[in-house]
Amino acid sequence: MTTDKCTNVTEKCADTKENCDNMVDISISKDVLVIGAGSFGLEAAGKIAAQGYSVSVIGVKTACARQSGCTSKMLETGKVNIMQDVAIDSLAGVTGDFRATLIKNAGNGAEYSEKVEKVFGAIVVAPQYSYSTLNKKYGLTLNDKVVSQSQFEAMIADPESQKKILNGVNGNGSTVAFLTGFAQEGDPTSTSRVLTSALAVQNMENCNAYIYAGNVKVGAKGLERLFTQGRHAGVVCFKPSQMPTIEQNLNDGVNTVKITIKDPVVRTDVELTPDYVVVEEAVVVGQQNLDIASTLRIDTDLYGFLPSNNVHRFPAKSNRDGIFVVNNSLDAANAALKLKELIGNGIKRVAANKAKVDEDRCVICLTCYRSCPHGAIFWQNGAAAISPAACQGCGICASECPMDAIQLGDFTDDSLRTSIKDAVVSAKDNQKDGQPLIVAFCCKNSALEACEAATKFGHEMPQGFRMVKVPCAGKVDVEFIMKAFVEGADGVMVAACHEGNCKAERGNIYAKWRVNEIQKRLEKMGLEKNRLIFTTIASNMAKEFAGKVNAFAAAIK
Amino acid sequence: MNNQTKKVLILGGGIAGLTAAWELSRQNISVELVEKSCFLGGHAIGFTCKATDKCQQCGACSVEDMLKNVVNEPLINVHLRTEIKELKKSSQFNITLTKSDIELPDSQIKNLPSGKAAKGFSKYNNPLYVTESDKDKMGSSCEITADAVIVATGYSPFDPNRKSTYGYGKWKNVITGLDLENIIRENGSLVRPSDGQKPQKVAFIQCVGSRDERLGNLWCSEVCCPYAMRMAGTVKHDNPNAEITMFYIDIQNSGKEFPVFYEKIKQNIRFVRTIPVDIYPLENNGLELRHMAEEEGSPSSESFDLVVLSVGIMPGKDSSKLSAITGIPVNQDGFLDNEITCCSCSSSAKSTQTSQPITSSQSASSIAGLFVAGTAKGPAGIASSMADAGKTAFEAMKYLGVMK
Ligand code: SF4
Ligand code: SF4
Ligand code: SF4
Ligand code: SF4
Repeated sequence: MTTDKCTNVTEKCADTKENCDNMVDISISKDVLVIGAGSFGLEAAGKIAAQGYSVSVIGVKTACARQSGCTSKMLETGKVNIMQDVAIDSLAGVTGDFRATLIKNAGNGAEYSEKVEKVFGAIVVAPQYSYSTLNKKYGLTLNDKVVSQSQFEAMIADPESQKKILNGVNGNGSTVAFLTGFAQEGDPTSTSRVLTSALAVQNMENCNAYIYAGNVKVGAKGLERLFTQGRHAGVVCFKPSQMPTIEQNLNDGVNTVKITIKDPVVRTDVELTPDYVVVEEAVVVGQQNLDIASTLRIDTDLYGFLPSNNVHRFPAKSNRDGIFVVNNSLDAANAALKLKELIGNGIKRVAANKAKVDEDRCVICLTCYRSCPHGAIFWQNGAAAISPAACQGCGICASECPMDAIQLGDFTDDSLRTSIKDAVVSAKDNQKDGQPLIVAFCCKNSALEACEAATKFGHEMPQGFRMVKVPCAGKVDVEFIMKAFVEGADGVMVAACHEGNCKAERGNIYAKWRVNEIQKRLEKMGLEKNRLIFTTIASNMAKEFAGKVNAFAAAIK
Repeated sequence: MNNQTKKVLILGGGIAGLTAAWELSRQNISVELVEKSCFLGGHAIGFTCKATDKCQQCGACSVEDMLKNVVNEPLINVHLRTEIKELKKSSQFNITLTKSDIELPDSQIKNLPSGKAAKGFSKYNNPLYVTESDKDKMGSSCEITADAVIVATGYSPFDPNRKSTYGYGKWKNVITGLDLENIIRENGSLVRPSDGQKPQKVAFIQCVGSRDERLGNLWCSEVCCPYAMRMAGTVKHDNPNAEITMFYIDIQNSGKEFPVFYEKIKQNIRFVRTIPVDIYPLENNGLELRHMAEEEGSPSSESFDLVVLSVGIMPGKDSSKLSAITGIPVNQDGFLDNEITCCSCSSSAKSTQTSQPITSSQSASSIAGLFVAGTAKGPAGIASSMADAGKTAFEAMKYLGVMK
């Protein structure tokens, strides 16, 4: 009953397969830029270089990466050029042909700095985050007895300080308290560090470890076992519902901390005056990473961590094809895989029917450049141009362009107009008396799938319902919605991906915003605004989709 | 080199197997994807969307996407209702496959539109994944040679009957987290099994089967806090009057932006730090749940309309059988484990650490050319299983010389 059957289309044609007319070959630079010389950056660099690509790494090596054994292991084989003190200044170009301006002696306050432009086929960002100690949130001042988790790890690694802990104040061991999960939610990595340190303390003669934890984050391999091991060794773990009461006394040469919690079972105060207090640390994004994200035009999550919180970016992807984000070892391997798929032997065969700009119409207003979520637009011959390697065919630019200068190869405005007309005609043929005629614009990534499944599984929907397939809800503009009404639809539905699940990041936001605008217009025209609705749905929710259509039909009957 | 000549056998068509198959096919390697049951997608294909006013990044729809990729990829050859009988290694792997004795759910094969295969949709969206004509073709025995083998046979959910005091199977309205996924998926919202009505008072019991020293299960399943909180959020979004309580030990993170998500959930859901002792039936299919009250430290009880047991990830039921066939060892928890941990260079690793649970490690198998991916080797969510499968595909291609 749908106007467009498209369940079995493989979107992508592998190089070797036939039947892929309308393809173009694009040359892709085999040089790769890795931003971040931490261990994961170097691991990714090594894996990529091994594939025969030439890799430049910029950024400062971390402590671990400075150990040559460690670095050589990560770099494996191949050409890797590590450039310390080099940063990225700006980025132009598109996937396969990124033009990066690199700046030497960056940020050192050095008088001499040099800019060079280099071409890269792809970019890997391996963000280097730093730690900040959360002592202030506990009302604590750091000193030789109140230390950060990192400091404490250094202490137990150093024989001298270790001896001091072992001896304690009067030669009979120390009591160490760990504070974690009250100043921040924490994560398995921080928990792992606390548990490991606590167990090390407990294993020292006459020493005792106490952990004050919010939630113990054991959600990673081996941690529950480590936690149990610690408890069996004698580590005491308190989990009060609130941050413990902490009093630090630094008067008159005294240096003590008293930690008090209320025991929920015996309902009394439990006090501890430990010899050492170890305070949790937070991972900090840092301005540097925010700058990198904005230079590369890639989205971050709410906190500024790269990439954005969107399942379509998983793993190792960003909103821009050809820019990868590596946050761990799994990402490094995945980035190398995807990068090889992209670069191959330097020639990439891509579908030619993506978005195209009519140069004669373009007035260089920059709208498309700003609205393209995938950074696929660049400038050529005094007009906007779109890279078929980077374009994902969402159609947002086409809808936003004030000059109507952009057309999608596989979803031209004309073909959409025809689809709308066909949908209405076929709905009229099947419509039962008294039932409304409904046209739903369905995003091919979500609503279309849900709609087709609903049809296939026989979930009941009104006879007068038809859907029109769109590449992204962001392609649905005012004209198409009005066209559906003009053709005779009683109700129009724009069905997009849930917020935060849009492949084009903001296509659903554009659609929602446009629907709101048109609703206002309809009202001014004296029409019922509830004849037009915006809704979101996931591709796997067939029954829910049918429910939404039926509810809409009932509402406008 | 002509990669076309390389072939990889993948055992298991869940999200890890699908992802590994897809990644291999991207590099023109042909794949024999062997699945024991009658459908692809594993447990996750029946999971529900957990969006509220926005997507909660549960990954369920990604499984659907990946499934669609795989069933449309000519380089991937799917064997449903098939399992491995024997594996021999010479210069290549010689594998004997056999029809699995899994029952074909006939009720679900009926009513199929004639002609086209409806593969690509989930087990719980009836009708679905196999046609009449496939039925006979399915599960034949054959011999296959492959250049590498990836075991992605997944996990078994904890059997709630082992916690008999919760009365799963006895009381209709005691369900598992997986049941809850399927109920919401099938109905578009949560309804009680007993009467098809929306429940008002819902309890979630966390860590059922996981983090349980008495059972010897010394691991956190990692997925149940995220799925329980996300579904609790969905239920509350659908029915703002619902009162939801979560009984827990520690709350685990659900991924990016967790603190914001958790703060919001805490406003809508009551968290009680205790694990209930037992459940008794009440009139009208209600349930009484007994627990130690956190504040009073004394026994207390409360009634609910529906109780969800957040069952965890256990080793796959046939992991020891698979271990015997393939020679891949099982670890102390019973998961298949072929990892050799290499130099630990994670940013968190410090020289003082004696054991490093979160480190970069390299999949290297005891038998060259044999790899394990996904939850077959331990708890993981959809996103991590996909990342792990990608990495495993990478390692397999390195072994094949396709990647360097
Ligand atoms: S939005 Fe249209 S007119 Fe503006 S730059 Fe892009 S193509 Fe040119
Ligand atoms: S169609 Fe989408 S991805 Fe392509 S250029 Fe336009 S906005 Fe960018
Ligand atoms: S909540 Fe889950 S299924 Fe729903 S859109 Fe988000 S990732 Fe997909
Ligand atoms: S994820 Fe949560 S419920 Fe599951 S085992 Fe871990 S702590 Fe328990």
